[in-house]
Amino acid sequence: MGVRITGIGVVSAIGLTVEENLRALKEGKSGIGKMAFLKENSELLVGEAKISNEDLKAALHIGTRYVSRTSLLGLLAAREAWGKNRLSKSLRTGIISATSVGGMDRSEHFYKDYLAKENPDFRLLKTHDSGSTTERIAAELGIKDYVNTLSTACSSGANAIMLGARLLLQNRLDRVLVGGSDALASFTIDGFRSLMIYDDQWCRPFDESRSGLNLGEGAGFLLLENEKSIEFSGNATIAYLSGWANAADAYHQTASSPEGKGATLAIAQALKKSGLNTSGITYVNAHGTGTKNNDLSESVALKNVFADQVPAFSSTKAFTGHTLAAAGAIEAVFSVLSIQNNLIYPNLNFKNSIEETGLEPVTTLQTDREVRAVLSNSFGFGGNNSSLVFSDRA
Amino acid sequence: MEKSVYYISAASTISHQPTFGNAGFSKSICALEADSSLITPDFKAFIDAGLLRRMSKILRMSVACAKDCLAQSHLEQPDAIIVGTGLGCLHDTEKFLNTSLTVEGLLPPTSFIQSTHNTMAGQISLSISNHGYNMTHTQNTLSFEHALLDAMMLLDDGEASILVGAADEYIEILTEIAGELNVRPARQLTSAASFFIVSNAPESDTVACVKDCWPIAFPESKTSAINDFLQRNELNAAEVDYVLFASLLPEQSGELVDLFTSAGMSGERCIDYLAFSGIYPTAAAFGMHYAADLMRTDRSIRNILIVNALRSENLGLTLIQSVEA
Repeated sequence: MGVRITGIGVVSAIGLTVEENLRALKEGKSGIGKMAFLKENSELLVGEAKISNEDLKAALHIGTRYVSRTSLLGLLAAREAWGKNRLSKSLRTGIISATSVGGMDRSEHFYKDYLAKENPDFRLLKTHDSGSTTERIAAELGIKDYVNTLSTACSSGANAIMLGARLLLQNRLDRVLVGGSDALASFTIDGFRSLMIYDDQWCRPFDESRSGLNLGEGAGFLLLENEKSIEFSGNATIAYLSGWANAADAYHQTASSPEGKGATLAIAQALKKSGLNTSGITYVNAHGTGTKNNDLSESVALKNVFADQVPAFSSTKAFTGHTLAAAGAIEAVFSVLSIQNNLIYPNLNFKNSIEETGLEPVTTLQTDREVRAVLSNSFGFGGNNSSLVFSDRA
Repeated sequence: MEKSVYYISAASTISHQPTFGNAGFSKSICALEADSSLITPDFKAFIDAGLLRRMSKILRMSVACAKDCLAQSHLEQPDAIIVGTGLGCLHDTEKFLNTSLTVEGLLPPTSFIQSTHNTMAGQISLSISNHGYNMTHTQNTLSFEHALLDAMMLLDDGEASILVGAADEYIEILTEIAGELNVRPARQLTSAASFFIVSNAPESDTVACVKDCWPIAFPESKTSAINDFLQRNELNAAEVDYVLFASLLPEQSGELVDLFTSAGMSGERCIDYLAFSGIYPTAAAFGMHYAADLMRTDRSIRNILIVNALRSENLGLTLIQSVEA
């Protein structure tokens, strides 16, 4: 019982459109580099979207300064996914976005002035709450039948996608834009540094020498439609969301359990929902942040579910950086592109397998295999584990 | 089409009223005085002392209410844990923001770890070792309604018992922000938490159920939204025993009461629940507990409509119905 995906949009460190992202994925070109937009003179490696707030506002025709970068990035991707679709009184249309920081990029700007008593602009705080980020995107697109925001740290984007699918299957909506958006903020960079899991080098997912993540930013959106909506829109189906699950690890507030309990549950339940066997998965787009803890726990979970038949897998975080709440949504778009174009992406910066598990990700672009189904993992703080299955048929 | 109902089999609230562990509290509540403060239980009865020391108010309240709900319903594990929060863990967010802007070098990570919106849901799953669906909704003043709707959808899909709740936390800068933005709220800004078990079957002592819940992003007209909501639940205005409502500004309360009375509801039975709870984004959860408690103390009450217009751009409508004995 798959749900039709008829539109995709993405902005990340490797491009401002689906086409640009696809090109970089094919060319194996990472978007991670020295910070250029958030702060000057920082040596930190980040995956910034290569566009200033001013240029984003100009491109989106938004004049006010009271808009967060999270909203701007989200709107850019949401508009691409929405495309030329029209609103209709006869169709119930919703939007679910996910964010972890909301308007923190504006709030920290305010708070700095506030602490220094330098005439802080309190109106900047109107964009702080996560809900306002989504409302802003909804208002720009005229969507109003269901407007909601999820925030479950790094699994948020995947959770928005599964909630959208459930709303369609329960016939509460006819179509829904689902995804997530997060802008880089000093708050999150300092946060991951305080946890000592921010790598000053390029992140190396699934490599024995991995020592942390590089943060990124961006947004991804997908348009999900039911039959009634398809009749109205005439949109072609580009892939199906066929399985999903969310499970709690209940091990530690930030760390994942060594036996990968929550991740194993999420992957196994998403597979079961999709009706596919383990052999039906062509490619796994892993969470693979590059931290010691996540990559080991995720590897164990993959072995728990797939035993010695782990499918071709890679993490695309070394292209984009870890985009937090947007990650599940951006990687959902990459999963759809994988099916559409029969591509399996390389896991950049990999040299040696993790000793405990010996798993080896795909390291060069694979173009010779028909990609029928992709498993995409997103795991977050609070032990929040989500898995999605995308496939080429219902 | 027969619509499901969603039984409220446990409810627990920490607020300015004697709500916690006190069924029948609705008989003894009174409007907040200016110096009113939260009435909190002994958290050590619910949370390990070592963990408790690191927990902010919003986390303590959430875990205590969640555990109280499980005890009330004699349930070991809910099928899912769903939380709504408008502004999340503000205390830890501000603390880490402050540290990151003022401290050079290595920062202590605890407040960052506890700053994410899903810390409450995560801590509840940790404290009871729950591996089910774990979700956090954050849509400003409609966060609780969205969480509740998610729980209802899970019950429709065949789950049996869901722990669903809401929490928000006051920090001092909120008062300053309200002042600077020229917002003059009718009641004091505060913190609170409410959690519930909603189930697909009643217990012997279940008195109330959620009939319907509708979070509306941008209502064109509150009147027609309320009419549509009553109509889809086959009710006319005269059958609504109480309206529990919320609005931010005093003049908006008057407008709402006019709206209810002109629709045929009794003005005396329109109650501004913010007078009892104070203002926080997810106060509608207090409204739901209050409604269920009113039904426990007066079995003649059949229908209570909760109208959450705390933010004038949005509207949350929830219908609570009594369960026949």
